[in-house]
Amino acid sequence: CHKVAVVREDKLEAMKSKLSTVASVHVYSIQKALLKDSSPLYNTDYDIVKANLQHCSKFSAIHCAAAVPRTPPDAPRAPPPAPSPPRQRDPDGAVNGHGPRAAKPPPQQHKGIMGMFAAKAAAKAQDTAKEAKAEAKEAPGVSAASSKPPTKNSIMNNFFGKAAMNKLKANSVPEQPKEEKEVVKPSVAVAEPESSPNTVTEKPGKKTESVRIQQKDKKSKTKRADRSDDEEERDPDNVKKKRKRIKQLVSDSSDEEDVPPSPTPEEERAPSPPPEPALKTELEPASPEVSAGGRKRKRRRVLKSKMFIDEEEGCMGKTG
Amino acid sequence: MFSEQAAPTAQGLLAPPAGEPPTFPRVAVGGYSDCSQPFQLGERSFSRQYAHIYAVRLAGMRPRLERRARGRWGDDIALRRLSELQEGEKCCVVGTLFKAMQLQPSILQEISEEHNLVPQPPLPKYIQPCDELMLEDELQRIKLEGAIDVQRLVTGTIVAVLGCEQDDGRFLVEDHCFADVPPPLPWSGPSSDRFVLLASGLGLGSVSGEALLSTQLLVDVVTGQLGAEGEQSCAAHITRVILAGNLLSQNTQSRDTINKAKYLTKKTQAASVEAVKMLDEILLQLCTSVPVDVMPGEFDPTNYTLPQQPLHRCMLPLASAYATLRLVTNPYQASLDGVRFLGTSGQNISDIFKYSSMDDYLEILEWTLLAGHISPTAPDTLGCYPFYKSDPFILTECPHVYFCGNAPRFQSKLLQGKEGQRVLLVTVPDFSATQTACLVNLRDLSCQPITFSSFGADSED
Repeated sequence: CHKVAVVREDKLEAMKSKLSTVASVHVYSIQKALLKDSSPLYNTDYDIVKANLQHCSKFSAIHCAAAVPRTPPDAPRAPPPAPSPPRQRDPDGAVNGHGPRAAKPPPQQHKGIMGMFAAKAAAKAQDTAKEAKAEAKEAPGVSAASSKPPTKNSIMNNFFGKAAMNKLKANSVPEQPKEEKEVVKPSVAVAEPESSPNTVTEKPGKKTESVRIQQKDKKSKTKRADRSDDEEERDPDNVKKKRKRIKQLVSDSSDEEDVPPSPTPEEERAPSPPPEPALKTELEPASPEVSAGGRKRKRRRVLKSKMFIDEEEGCMGKTG
Repeated sequence: MFSEQAAPTAQGLLAPPAGEPPTFPRVAVGGYSDCSQPFQLGERSFSRQYAHIYAVRLAGMRPRLERRARGRWGDDIALRRLSELQEGEKCCVVGTLFKAMQLQPSILQEISEEHNLVPQPPLPKYIQPCDELMLEDELQRIKLEGAIDVQRLVTGTIVAVLGCEQDDGRFLVEDHCFADVPPPLPWSGPSSDRFVLLASGLGLGSVSGEALLSTQLLVDVVTGQLGAEGEQSCAAHITRVILAGNLLSQNTQSRDTINKAKYLTKKTQAASVEAVKMLDEILLQLCTSVPVDVMPGEFDPTNYTLPQQPLHRCMLPLASAYATLRLVTNPYQASLDGVRFLGTSGQNISDIFKYSSMDDYLEILEWTLLAGHISPTAPDTLGCYPFYKSDPFILTECPHVYFCGNAPRFQSKLLQGKEGQRVLLVTVPDFSATQTACLVNLRDLSCQPITFSSFGADSED
């Protein structure tokens, strides 16, 4: 029987004598005063973990190559790229975090969206590169949900991310003064799921990593395409229709979140003409179109009320 | 297992660090395939009667039982239907068992006004000496007596009995047999040590927080944040974590809101909301480091009837961002690295425990394997979906690891079957009560419990 026990210093020898082999001994915690029981240990640990939820495996000796966040839900619509299982990617002795990866062939994504977002991302990257704190390592937790406050996160196509983000919104404000070293997750990371890797290779290594991660996500995501949800309020039928909706939701989120006008000017800033200029024109006027319009409006309402439920803390009676 | 490998570097962390600490890549999952499609219900329709499930169960298991009967009692044994029985003729009948129990809770009796009954409080066991056993086939039923242990058996088991019909209309049983262990699966397990951690009954949201530190220790061991280097490298060999049900505690099931007036309960949050948030954080910590399979249990927010459907992703926003999180059904079947796992969150075993004289969870687990059915008491006393095409709980192939969650204590046994089957039976203990989880070594199908403890206010060891 394998026993893992936290024991007080004075009981250590007694415990060791009871075990047949001592597999490991190390200091778990030090305190100024003698503890009555182990609840302060747990509480402190819980607080620290909660504050660093996204980097919880950063300082772990075990690195799991398979633990990459999935890309936001529009990625599974993309045709599956050349399958190379993410598990084979061993860090090769790299320290925790991600060593630079070999360049991979860019997956075939929706070129229109890519064009839009790539340019957007390029524009944004300039901003965030300046702002990003000097944290060399990017934790594996680069997911939409983990992105910092929504100032740059207009491209929140992740509904769950949205819900979680609103919770994080409340948390992140008190967190910021606490954590100076907190990595400002560049929201580039969020935009990047859609960005084509062409623009990425020019960016600094950190961004490259996150894109690789996102690409890995795409691959692992497409592998799990069967799990992509039906609950998502998207029709998985017409490709062109999907694009429209994504665009509209982008403008939704930019409307709904209390975001300074940075998203909208950035969207407009996209210089490279997308192959479908129709998409671009849809973006700028937030006014919905006729056919998808009614549906879009309804969905917007549902979105709002979903967020409402989260913020209002348990008003179960409220429906959308 | 763990201990011997880790012992050499045991004191490693008591000295100042020497250079770059090693990192260990998590052992990659060799081959994972989810085989629980029969348990995933798509469109559910409850417009059917439950009689169909018994009909398909009998039809599905009859061939196997007839083969077994012939093998056991000779090829020349007469296999009869109940309608073809002749008095005094020794023959073999295959049918479904039904146990008539007086204490069995019956909703019809409870709501019946003529009896004026107070609802019966839940008992640990509902068996009584005066219970009777009956055999049913497609058309008829007959009372059984003789060499058959009435107390031990439960309703819904498919059995073949050898005997003859008496003149009073009862069937005198001389011998009986079950479907026995299903045919074996080929073995293609890994050649090196690979571990799977089985834990169940995390019981989050309970009033007492004693098990929380142990839960955190468990997460830390698996993610490699606890233990010296040797221990961490062993922990890197854990390829998967399976949480077998009851992630939430029974306390989260408070139903006060149903009885109270709406204005009193409007602003109160269900207790499960906080508990699910805690679960999300724990799963996030695990998912960043190891693939996790989460099975729902009796107290988890999913449907009540078996097969329980996976928890919904929206409840776990942080953790479900990771591809390593898999939300799976309650009877869960998967092939990890060539080793077939099959297990439940324990509702089937605890239900049989209530209606049978068997006391040992491991014994009941073994008995279900021998009976060839995961949960024979469904739908009689255990809620079940009204299947009509096929019964997915019939065991068609012998798994390599057969587990049940939320058992009172840890037990394991390696069963050898007649046709070369090797099954590891594991009863995964309730973590909130015992702070014990199990480590299964896929290479040699051995199992080791791992216990977590902390020091309490009273200084005992």
